[in-house]
Amino acid sequence: MTQFFNYAVPGIPFGCVFALMAVGLVLTYKASGVFNLAFGAQAFVSALAFVSLVQDGWPRWAAGFVSVFVLGPVVGILLDRLLFRRIRTASPLVKLVPSLGLLVALPQLALIIAGSTPDIPPPALFVNAQRVYAHLGSVPLSGLELSIFGCTLVVVGVLVALFRFTPVGLEMRAVVESPRLTELAGVNAGRISAFAWILSSVMAGLAGVLLSPLYSQLDPQNFTVLLVWGIAGAVIGRFASLPLALVGGLALGVGQQVLAGYLPAGIISTGLRPSLPFIVLLVFLPFSRQRQFDDPLSSCDPPSTALEGETRGYQSASTLAVTSGDGVHAVGLWHRSLHPGRPESPWRRLARRPTTNLAWAVGALAVLSALTWVPGDWLLTMTQGIAFGVVFLSLTLLTGMSGQISLCQATFAGLGGFVAGQLADHYGLPVVLGMVAGGLLAAVLGVIVAVPTLRLAGLPLALATLAFALLADNVLFPNSWIGNGAGGVTVPRPSLGPISFVASRSFFVLSLLVLAVTAGVVKLVGDGTMGRLLAAMRGSEVAATSVGIDVTRLRILVFALSAGLAGVGGALFGSLEGSLSPNDFNYQISAVLLVVVAIVGLGSVTGAVVAGLVYETLQKAVTTLPSRYAGLVAVIFGLATLSYTRHPEGFVDFLGSRLLALIARNRIASRLLGRGERGEGPVEPPSGVGRRDDEGLTPVGAPGGGS
Amino acid sequence: MADPVRSDPLLVATGISKQFGGVQALFELSFDVGRGEAVGIVGPNGAGKTTLFDCLLGLEALDTGTVVFDGVRIDRLPVWKRSRMGIGRTYQRLELFRGMTVADHLLVAEQAKAGTFRLWRDLLHRGGPTAAELRHVEEVLELVGLADLADRPVDGLGLGHARLVELGRAMMGAPRLLMLDEPSSGLDVAETERLASILRDIRAAQGTSVVLVEHDLRLVESVVDRLCVLNFGRMLASGPVAEVLASPEVRLAYLGTSR
Repeated sequence: MTQFFNYAVPGIPFGCVFALMAVGLVLTYKASGVFNLAFGAQAFVSALAFVSLVQDGWPRWAAGFVSVFVLGPVVGILLDRLLFRRIRTASPLVKLVPSLGLLVALPQLALIIAGSTPDIPPPALFVNAQRVYAHLGSVPLSGLELSIFGCTLVVVGVLVALFRFTPVGLEMRAVVESPRLTELAGVNAGRISAFAWILSSVMAGLAGVLLSPLYSQLDPQNFTVLLVWGIAGAVIGRFASLPLALVGGLALGVGQQVLAGYLPAGIISTGLRPSLPFIVLLVFLPFSRQRQFDDPLSSCDPPSTALEGETRGYQSASTLAVTSGDGVHAVGLWHRSLHPGRPESPWRRLARRPTTNLAWAVGALAVLSALTWVPGDWLLTMTQGIAFGVVFLSLTLLTGMSGQISLCQATFAGLGGFVAGQLADHYGLPVVLGMVAGGLLAAVLGVIVAVPTLRLAGLPLALATLAFALLADNVLFPNSWIGNGAGGVTVPRPSLGPISFVASRSFFVLSLLVLAVTAGVVKLVGDGTMGRLLAAMRGSEVAATSVGIDVTRLRILVFALSAGLAGVGGALFGSLEGSLSPNDFNYQISAVLLVVVAIVGLGSVTGAVVAGLVYETLQKAVTTLPSRYAGLVAVIFGLATLSYTRHPEGFVDFLGSRLLALIARNRIASRLLGRGERGEGPVEPPSGVGRRDDEGLTPVGAPGGGS
Repeated sequence: MADPVRSDPLLVATGISKQFGGVQALFELSFDVGRGEAVGIVGPNGAGKTTLFDCLLGLEALDTGTVVFDGVRIDRLPVWKRSRMGIGRTYQRLELFRGMTVADHLLVAEQAKAGTFRLWRDLLHRGGPTAAELRHVEEVLELVGLADLADRPVDGLGLGHARLVELGRAMMGAPRLLMLDEPSSGLDVAETERLASILRDIRAAQGTSVVLVEHDLRLVESVVDRLCVLNFGRMLASGPVAEVLASPEVRLAYLGTSR
């Protein structure tokens, strides 16, 4: 018992910080409908400001006040105003992508602004962190631990008082139930939501500043891990209960210390501790019935007038939305198949969209250039882009077409690469076969992920897959037989019989082939029967199953297919680089992958390919800048989420529709590139069509759009 | 308790209960639908009508009780299997496939029946709809009067048309039992009348059994043979429409007055 006590007490400060995170997450989720993954980044920003100010000679209390009570709320209000308020009623993906993007971008932006990471170890807020002020039993309590404990108590006290005894607290609870009805009762829901953001931002800042002394240096990674613990706490609170979230966070903090104390050292304890959130998520997520953000008025609403573009996902060839005077129509498969003028030749079909022709022309030009004059380092970048394009295509299939959000796609890619490398290394298997084997094993892993998460969708699915990625990073990939930890795995370049793909141009051709096959698979599936079934599942899983689609099997199948494609892409990338380490495909990369492809375009095969090229080109371009700007790519995509919420169809589709309009207006261009079919003239950008204002008056809870 | 052999009803639910937390949504409820019969279910909000549908179709698992459809116990079967056995349903809160066209809604339902995802045929570029499938879609589009809107994405449709899309989608499986959850809510008088006539057409043409949850008593009266009243998860009354509506017990529960 004493031993348990000795293990448990040092866990309390951790628990307090986890609890602060969990409560803050639940608070904004309830008040604004957005699960704010950028919370970890907000904590980092405040902590960075605090340490930097102290390093500049500010007294610690002043630095603490400014970073927690000034900077924190300012960031929070900005996020609310510029971003999260717009997407209250959007689909889970549109809600998730901005916060994910900011989770990665905000710390990098702060680091660029700050110039460098502070050299001094992070100090504690009020007290001498190391000095022991008291003893609890035989456990010494340092100033750090006492300050964390005290601050948490104060925050909890303030929260309880606020919700119980103040009008603002009452209004906040009302907004959570139904923003529209609350507005009708004369309450400014926007003001209340802003207040909730201020509150939760203070908590993020406090958590960050309090916790930072535990680490010898400020590192955004630590705060992301902290966030995952906070998420686990919030899930214990079922996204809804502040007290439960508080208790959950505390229990997690104590629990992880106790586990670490009792378990033997080695892979089990070092691996199990970080994966505790995953286990918690998997156990508790099915119980957290998603709050549908629908209010009592929603059943009398006409269907869906919220953000139109976001619902479109993958555009199969049968539903190309075009305008013809009186609103959006679809030139459908229906139209063509039932009322055919004559059978359509593949060439005519190819020529139907001028933008497609343009894309082919640009692509052909790029390939020709790559094969002739492009210098070696840029050829490498292009090949990297192609390999990533394959991985992005797996997301087009999984998220764009079937609406399943995966935050462990990099894990699948990594597994594919490791398998190819290990097989070549140990068994001398040709790398091309290794790539296939890697894809197959990744597909198996996809099934392993899909089965326990079958009952989850939207945000809970995203969180569960995130936790799975974390688990794989900690437990699976460090082993020498798979990812070999920091050392990584060598993946040789392949050769097929007499043809060797060792030289960079020949490897480029191989990559191109793999990309073409992957793109073909994704396109054929998307435009075929399965694509229609997947679109139905994306639209409404309930309705899909009640018309007789075996959603369970369909979901497992699409997860396997997508994971397999990601695995092939990962193997391709590994073979290109010559070696692969778990850090190349850790859970943060998964988040980045989703953000990048969502911004560039989940709606088409072109989108994924362009995403790969753009991502790698930006990476390459940043290496030419001073090292201070190393995180610039993350910042660019983080800021691009601001426009993503306006154009959730993605950059490529948006640009495509604009181009289409331009070409249609220009006689020479339309002669050159094809005019498009009748009625397929200028396509209006689909978003913003049915939008009203953002002040909570947007129709809430369109079908399937909740959570 | 109904004897499935003697009266041979299509659907027999016996003693079904469902609890959500502390709320007893259904309590020891028994309910049956004859072949070709149309049953209306009315009851105050929160009476358990939608929960009854969810339980019959399998969207919610039963706490107790059994459901027999056409002589087969279905209460442990997954939703899609029950659906393929011939149960179609619509939703009070629309569950449309956003972004898809009206025709695609019906086509999906048609292709779902086949039970294969046609992945290999898709990969060989042979996965398109067959002529027979398209013909069936066309027929049902005519039946529910949506032929003109076939190529429209559902996102822009009005509520009246959207409810018809749901009806058409449910009809694609050639259901023997059609469960309609407040199909007239949000519709105006003309739209409701059109819905009623479509429902009568469907019954006349295909002999489909219908369960109709509805607040609009005029619609109920014009479509159903028998009326059930649900209150607090219990069956309050069941019988011919006029008789049930006249019963003082029902008037007390439903209208809050016994006069």
